[in-house]
Amino acid sequence: MKMTVDREVTLRMARAAQIRLAPEDVDHMMDSINDILSFCALVGDLDCTDTPDFTWKMKKLPSRRPDTVGDWADREHFKSMAPTIEGDFFRVPRIHSED
Amino acid sequence: MADSKNSKRPIVIGLEVHIQLNTKTKLFCPCSTDYIGKTPNTNVCPVCLAVPGTLPILNDSAVALGARMGLGLHCAIQNYSNFHRKNYFYPDLSKAYQITQYGLTIAVGGYLDIESDGKPRRVRVHHLHLEEDAGKLVHPTVDGRLTGAAYSLVDYNRGGVPLSEIVSEPDMSSPAEARDYVVRLRQLARYLDVSDGEMESGSLRVDANISLSNADGSLGTRVEIKNMNSLKSLERALEYEIARQNKVLDSGGRIVQETRLWDDAEEVTRSMRNKETASDYRYYPEMDLAPIVITDEQIEGFKRAMPELPWEKRDRFMKDFGLSYEEVEILTEQKELARYYEDVVAAGAPPARAANWVRMEVLRVLNERGADISNFSLSPSILAELVKKVENKELSSTIAKDILDMLSQENISLEEAIKRSGASTVRLTGDLLGEVIDRICAANSDVVETIKTGQDKKGGKVKFLQGLVMKETRGQADPSEVSSLLSKKLEG
Repeated sequence: MKMTVDREVTLRMARAAQIRLAPEDVDHMMDSINDILSFCALVGDLDCTDTPDFTWKMKKLPSRRPDTVGDWADREHFKSMAPTIEGDFFRVPRIHSED
Repeated sequence: MADSKNSKRPIVIGLEVHIQLNTKTKLFCPCSTDYIGKTPNTNVCPVCLAVPGTLPILNDSAVALGARMGLGLHCAIQNYSNFHRKNYFYPDLSKAYQITQYGLTIAVGGYLDIESDGKPRRVRVHHLHLEEDAGKLVHPTVDGRLTGAAYSLVDYNRGGVPLSEIVSEPDMSSPAEARDYVVRLRQLARYLDVSDGEMESGSLRVDANISLSNADGSLGTRVEIKNMNSLKSLERALEYEIARQNKVLDSGGRIVQETRLWDDAEEVTRSMRNKETASDYRYYPEMDLAPIVITDEQIEGFKRAMPELPWEKRDRFMKDFGLSYEEVEILTEQKELARYYEDVVAAGAPPARAANWVRMEVLRVLNERGADISNFSLSPSILAELVKKVENKELSSTIAKDILDMLSQENISLEEAIKRSGASTVRLTGDLLGEVIDRICAANSDVVETIKTGQDKKGGKVKFLQGLVMKETRGQADPSEVSSLLSKKLEG
């Protein structure tokens, strides 16, 4: 069954997501959400009768580990992937403070 | 500015104390927690750098230490707790969220008894939860502050280090109580080997929530203070904030709910940001981690492994050794000092005299040298021998203190130290001591005459003669016997 949202629900969703929505943008946002819902509704029309369950053999990880130090050999590789490095530090853009 | 004792409104303080847990590795990865002084970004791996596809795995020791601290705080350890993601966008978090416990925490509902200003007080503990620490930011400005920084540098060595956050109820009503609570909490953490509790290195950090109550008794608006890195800072920041809030309210203003930073150099708090609420963080369950399940059997095991707690040791010392509360508070402040004292007593020293020597002389020597009891060179058995010689009047206290100084500085035997001090273990008593007193009195006949004619109203001349006798005997005489024999001589 296809769901739709109206202006009121759209505004409530924006508030819940802490998104500031200008009055002139509300209709556009409502239409976009309804488009997404319509697309999702197409899934309901699919015939899945002969589709086998998807199974995944996942390596079982322990929920806890012993307190033993391990050393990661490829540290420099990951550091080299950072956008900007300065000396041994990762460099990040200016942080805007509130004061 | 008026201090907290003159506050017109009742003061309400609650503390959030972060304690770095004494584990070898981080909370969710096997990187070392030994980051002080290390090259930046060397204690890191794909997990704590948040490389996509990695999964956190919980450190078992962090769970045990969190539970142990919870038990020390008389909390109930929960059979089931879990982790959440606390979302905030700041570069000290590699993932843009912090993994922390929220709602279902490892320990809830305890208390800590403190003594402040001579009065007992119970501070309730709301809960204790586990969480990971953030990385460290360095701002390349002259004063190292964020303001004015064109960019910032990040070191993730600390990122992911395990913390336990202990959240108190708002049960403290003065800065002194807040300090005493932190001191007791730190003592507990150290007794339990949960943390070194060093505020200077950041192993123990305190955030304070403070409000002034309204005239109708209802709670006022709460302000959070951060960035206090010593007990002194904590007290000063709270004192400042109490004065500031009273001033605002006196002038008809209102207190804004906010987070303020303590500026240690200027001794003021400054507004940092409006206080966040839980919804700002968009908490949601951490689906990459299984819940923490602790069985009743495991909890019983934690309880059995608990060492003697500071207040238990304090009560035992008072009962077994007949010491006063004040004496025992000092002896049990550090468990290493308490153990040292017990070893001195076990080696045969009388408990009361041993308590005086450890409290006064051992601590004096340690303070003078900036040393720690754990690496004090004088063994408890040697100190016990020394104390016994004082007790048996073989050595005077004065000379024994000199001997203790020698023993703590040089690797020599007690006999050698006694020899070097010039003291004989043979006491100068009775007739021999009487002869010395006669000689001193004869050589100072004018002083004796002054005393005998009643002109020594304050007793200064008698003390002068006593001092000469002690000097002459080089500490081999017992001061009380000197006093007694001298009095008889002067009366005669």
